[in-house]
Amino acid sequence: MIISTMNDINQKMTSGTDKRVSRRYFLRVAGTVAIGVGVGGYTAVKEALPKIIKLADGRSGIPVSGGYLLVDVKKCQGCMSCMLACSLVNEGVENLSLSRIQVIQNSFDKWPDDVTIEPCRQCVDPACVNACAQEALKADARFGNVRRVVDVEKCIGCGACVEECPYTPSRPIMVPAENHGGDLKARKCELCANAPYHWDPLGGGPGGKQACVEVCPVGAIQFATEVPEQEGESGYKVNLRDSTWSALGYPRR
Amino acid sequence: MNGYAGKILQVNLTHRKIATIPTSKYEQWIGGHGMGSAIFFDLVKDKTIDGFDPANVVTLMTSPLSGTLTPAGAARTEVQGIGVQSVPIGWFTRSNFGGRFSSMLKYAGWDGIVIEGQADEPVWLDIRNDTVTIRNCSDLSLWGTDTWECQKKIWEYVAGNQLYGDWMEPAGKLGGQTTQRPAVLTIGPAGENLSRIACMIHDAGSGAGQGGFGAVWGSKRLKAVSVIGTGSIRVNNPKGLLQARLWQKKNYAFNLDHLKRRFLSVDFQSPPTPGTMYRQGKPSTGKRPQACIGCHSGCRGRYEDGLGNEATCFATIFYLFADTLDVQRKACDLLNRYGLNAAEMLWGELYLRDLHRADILGPGKEIDCPLKFENYGKFEFAEQLVKMIAYRNDGLGKTHPFGDDLAEGFVRAAKKWGRLDGDNGDLKTGRLLFPFWGLPRHKEARSQLDWAYGTILGDRDINEHGFDQLRSNPTYNKRWKIPLYGSAEEVVKIYTDKMVPFQGDMRMLDFSAENMYSEHIAKLVTWHRYYTRFWKQSAQFCDWRWPDFLNLYAPNKVGSTGIAEPKFLNAVTGGNFSFLDGIELGKKIWNLDHAIWTLQGRHRDIVHFADYYYSQPSFSLSGHPEYMPGRENGKWQYIQTLGRHFDKDKFEEFKTRFYHQQGWDTNTGYPTAGTLKSLGLNSVAVELEQNGKLGKG
Repeated sequence: MIISTMNDINQKMTSGTDKRVSRRYFLRVAGTVAIGVGVGGYTAVKEALPKIIKLADGRSGIPVSGGYLLVDVKKCQGCMSCMLACSLVNEGVENLSLSRIQVIQNSFDKWPDDVTIEPCRQCVDPACVNACAQEALKADARFGNVRRVVDVEKCIGCGACVEECPYTPSRPIMVPAENHGGDLKARKCELCANAPYHWDPLGGGPGGKQACVEVCPVGAIQFATEVPEQEGESGYKVNLRDSTWSALGYPRR
Repeated sequence: MNGYAGKILQVNLTHRKIATIPTSKYEQWIGGHGMGSAIFFDLVKDKTIDGFDPANVVTLMTSPLSGTLTPAGAARTEVQGIGVQSVPIGWFTRSNFGGRFSSMLKYAGWDGIVIEGQADEPVWLDIRNDTVTIRNCSDLSLWGTDTWECQKKIWEYVAGNQLYGDWMEPAGKLGGQTTQRPAVLTIGPAGENLSRIACMIHDAGSGAGQGGFGAVWGSKRLKAVSVIGTGSIRVNNPKGLLQARLWQKKNYAFNLDHLKRRFLSVDFQSPPTPGTMYRQGKPSTGKRPQACIGCHSGCRGRYEDGLGNEATCFATIFYLFADTLDVQRKACDLLNRYGLNAAEMLWGELYLRDLHRADILGPGKEIDCPLKFENYGKFEFAEQLVKMIAYRNDGLGKTHPFGDDLAEGFVRAAKKWGRLDGDNGDLKTGRLLFPFWGLPRHKEARSQLDWAYGTILGDRDINEHGFDQLRSNPTYNKRWKIPLYGSAEEVVKIYTDKMVPFQGDMRMLDFSAENMYSEHIAKLVTWHRYYTRFWKQSAQFCDWRWPDFLNLYAPNKVGSTGIAEPKFLNAVTGGNFSFLDGIELGKKIWNLDHAIWTLQGRHRDIVHFADYYYSQPSFSLSGHPEYMPGRENGKWQYIQTLGRHFDKDKFEEFKTRFYHQQGWDTNTGYPTAGTLKSLGLNSVAVELEQNGKLGKG
């Protein structure tokens, strides 16, 4: 129920003329529902409550992302095609270090601990956005949704967003920008919304196609619009294995 | 240069010097094998040297596709140099492995590595982007470690006080960041102790097995090459490459929601399935498929119990009569850890077993062997066997000549034991199943003619599965009722329509006994040599997934080969290179290789199968019949192909046809000036002439 309420909020952000949700509205709705579902669930949401985020027009609001990447680390075949696709559509080159999604593996380890996939969580309370004193990281509703994008012009390459990301490895990365004299600029997953080398005429973003999702040969990455559980990893690292997968001899558990 | 790093690393171990070769100097070869052969030709002045000679050059080459989104085309590394495994001559040969090495090398800024000379003490190569350091093994106590231990030690060293899983800066603050572990290629104790059947291993199970390159590295006192890169590979058309990938996925790759086949097949459409062939079946433990970088369909696995991680193919058949599945899996890991060629070990172990059961081999027997056969079936037996070859002793830590014998390879060992002498020599009876150049059998090549001729007219077991489905599908249809891909005629037409410039000659795939020596089969072998030399070994499309001839997901079952390969290559490089261009460049590379073999001593008179191939009928290990397409009574059918052997005189006629088709001297098999010059290989013709090896005509 908490999740569905978050999606209600998201609906508010993505439909109608008012694409923004005020902090007060968010607290009222989320809080009310949370009380109804119990303390444990409420705690998770309470801790995830976002700070005020300044929007492009200077108003404050609490946007949540229009989409999320969910991954199945037990299904992943470790081919890193998602990483190759990510750096290709976003940077026009092949470079594992420039990928916004990171697959990390150790061929000597035992399944399932031999592989992890670390996509950007598009946090409800985005530490990276909060850390950016330049407002280079902000919400953008161009695609009828909210998410966090990097304004390259404003980014001074301080790395605060990288430092403040609470996850390992940090999801924002610093990339030498060719059109800024090679200066380091922050980048993070935008669900391919601003990918300059996007292959599809309709583009990416929550309403479009994400390169990693489309390319993954085994369906180990899924796009979702519902806000995942923010506490821990279970909301993002999910089971995408079905009967077809088990018919190939792989476990569904 | 889109798709290229722009430079090749040249390492002289004798002088401990690092240099660079501009990739542009060899760009005409595109990458991989072509570049490797050309570099070898230029740098090794005396092609008759032994593989253990410090002047031998070993190349590790990538392709423009390495590290890109090309499906099953981004991960191979081509290894070349003079090998030490084959007899009577250690041919200039090749091996190849997958994983992450070639991509990481490109990200580090290198299109390949050229290794020359011999270090004065054991060393390893530490590559971190542009920073290349030759380090002594003694600092990390690497010499003596198995391949897995060695890699872990290097990983730890490169990480320093940083942790994998987080961003780290392996090349320092200005060197970029990565979450990845270095890609390490290393030899095990078998290579260190110069076993001619030693291989090189990367990660848990990516191995370059053929040629004995593990021993060549051992002789150079080179334990490992580690590479970590944080840079970019430029792509000419990023959108085009992604579109090509999705086009290939949508139209030609397996569809999990609509699987046409559940089992592994050696072609593009195969679902991701570990290619293990353990006698007692697939491990039931939890697992995932594991793929090389960029591959759409992993052919290896990683397991909940960690046994047999990334192992495939021959490694998983070794120790066939192990008591349990887990013993066989552990034995498989031994091969990868100690660094031994799995094919040679599979057939060699069975040979020893056979000799023992015949009361010929054992303690105090005709062949004095310290192996404890009372442990046969148990892990201890496999461990003793592997160790005795890796350490050249009795496998238990004590000196014994038997380990020395086996470390030289099973044919050399059998010869030393007198087992090859007389009319009943083991290569005459077929007791020792090593039919080509002293190398072990693979497919039943008296049936799979592309395999037989490609190997004997080349330098090694070709290990090229492009036509393997022509056998496996009808054979398993008869045996297990797996649905046929199509009628023999339909399948042959789909295949041969793609075999430019010989397209349309369906009799290229007529595997009947009547057609065994024909002009058509010569064309099949010619096409296969050219296709693989370029598209597989230079552009480096993976052997297990390409070519995509017949594809059950595609309209009319017509696969993507011919269209797909240049589509990916051109998207990366920006060139306008056609499929036929690749076949023609493959011809040039094949001619260059043949010229090197000629300089080494190749003459048509020594081009022969082992004697048993001319007298003993072909058979399958399972005892079941095998079927391939062929014409019988004027009609295409799947015909039974076992039970036949080659005819020596007719094979001579076939060689003449083949040499004629290549434009070589049919009396000697030597390349001719006209052919070489027509291919732009003038300097090669000059060197052959200087050595009295230029053919007439």
